[in-house]
Amino acid sequence: MAETLLDIAMMHSDSLIARAREGDKTAQSKLVQLWYKRIYNFGYKFFYDHDLAMEVAQKTFISMHKNIAGLQEVTRFKSWLYTIAVNYCREEARKRKTNRAISLNDLKPGEGEESYRWEESHQRRENPERQLRQSELSDLLQSCLMELSAEQREVVIMKEYEGLKFREIAETLGISENTVKSRMYYGLEGLKKILEQKKITKETIGYEL
Amino acid sequence: MNYKPDEGTLISYLYGELSADEAAKVQAYLQANPEELKKWQALSNTKEVMAHVQDKEVIAPPIFMDDTKVVSFWNNNYFKTVMSIAASVLFLMVAGKLLGTEINYQQGELKISFGGKKVQIENPAQPMLTEDKVQEMIQSSLAKNNEVITAGWTEDQKRLSQSIRKNLDQNSRKIDELMKTASDASQEQVRGFVASLQNDNLKLMKDYFQLSAADQKKYTESLLVDFSEYLKEQRKQDLMILQTRVNSIEKNTDQFKQETEQILANIISTPMNKNNRNSY
Repeated sequence: MAETLLDIAMMHSDSLIARAREGDKTAQSKLVQLWYKRIYNFGYKFFYDHDLAMEVAQKTFISMHKNIAGLQEVTRFKSWLYTIAVNYCREEARKRKTNRAISLNDLKPGEGEESYRWEESHQRRENPERQLRQSELSDLLQSCLMELSAEQREVVIMKEYEGLKFREIAETLGISENTVKSRMYYGLEGLKKILEQKKITKETIGYEL
Repeated sequence: MNYKPDEGTLISYLYGELSADEAAKVQAYLQANPEELKKWQALSNTKEVMAHVQDKEVIAPPIFMDDTKVVSFWNNNYFKTVMSIAASVLFLMVAGKLLGTEINYQQGELKISFGGKKVQIENPAQPMLTEDKVQEMIQSSLAKNNEVITAGWTEDQKRLSQSIRKNLDQNSRKIDELMKTASDASQEQVRGFVASLQNDNLKLMKDYFQLSAADQKKYTESLLVDFSEYLKEQRKQDLMILQTRVNSIEKNTDQFKQETEQILANIISTPMNKNNRNSY
């Protein structure tokens, strides 16, 4: 994952966190701007649902604003923030479990079809079409991710997409580092099988893109 | 080579989170074990494929949060309640002033007056009264009361007895009159009643006899008719029986005649034949 200016800013935001902890509203606002995309994407990958991801992100930052004064170490801000996000994700997941009604809007178009949408086109063109195929592939892989258990999914997302270290993930989830690694290993194993079932390989993706 | 990395080490190696020494160990192990290398590569490929999941672009909404609300002294709840009590007390005071309210408490009396006019209420209680006097007053008033009540009772009793007597006289008179009228009326009424009874009985008897005679007539007539019809029928049947018997007798006599004729014919014919034979 290429590092953007935002990523760099996130990495060097210790002073910002320190100021936010002391009640600096501007610093808190800047932290929201810095971390909102990451937390939203964590929620999105966890639920594969925009509304729920927005809900989780907003709740996370409201909670951050309320509780940042109690943050012990500035260096632990990242895992602390993800802990809040994970807790809200779990809460929303529990709510969804109890309320199993599925909106018609939740049904993705093309689901259950034999051939994948990103496989349909065989012309190699640049940009708009390529972008479309890429986003379709992303959706497809996202649906594969949804087939993992919630425990494995949260570890895979944190490691693969959020770039947390195993130590940070263990801190976030309050479990041992070995458990995190084990979940990651079996999560990847599970994804391998899912991808095999769906006949998605590195080669087919390379060809299509 | 006994070294065999566990799942955790392999996954750490995959994400480059191992120290240089450990990474070298794992690398050597994988090179020595192609099967394990294949497995690890499969995981690596999966990781690469899954890396194609893109981030969604989202704009952070402007979040304005101000939890540490600086509650001004004017908005303080305590201040508000104190002020409201003070305001209501002030209002009462102003209203009291405008209405000219005056409140006094003297010698166990509470006086509340409005309009500024002092109303002097004379104390009805006489401080000079002693217990004996009060007792006497109570007794005298009780005695007076008793007298009045007894006088009232006697008068009432007299009136009652008078009215009872009057009523009794009136009732007895009325009863006598009623008895008289009843005795006068009874003889005539009894006669009339008996006469009417007799008439009714006569009528009833007449009707009964008339009805019964007519019914009996009808019955005997129908009986006679039926009987005559029966007789007719019987006679017809007898005649028919007689006729059939006569017919049968006739038939029998005819048969008998024919038989006798045949017998006679036979008898006549047989000696003749015998004679003929003898002649031959």
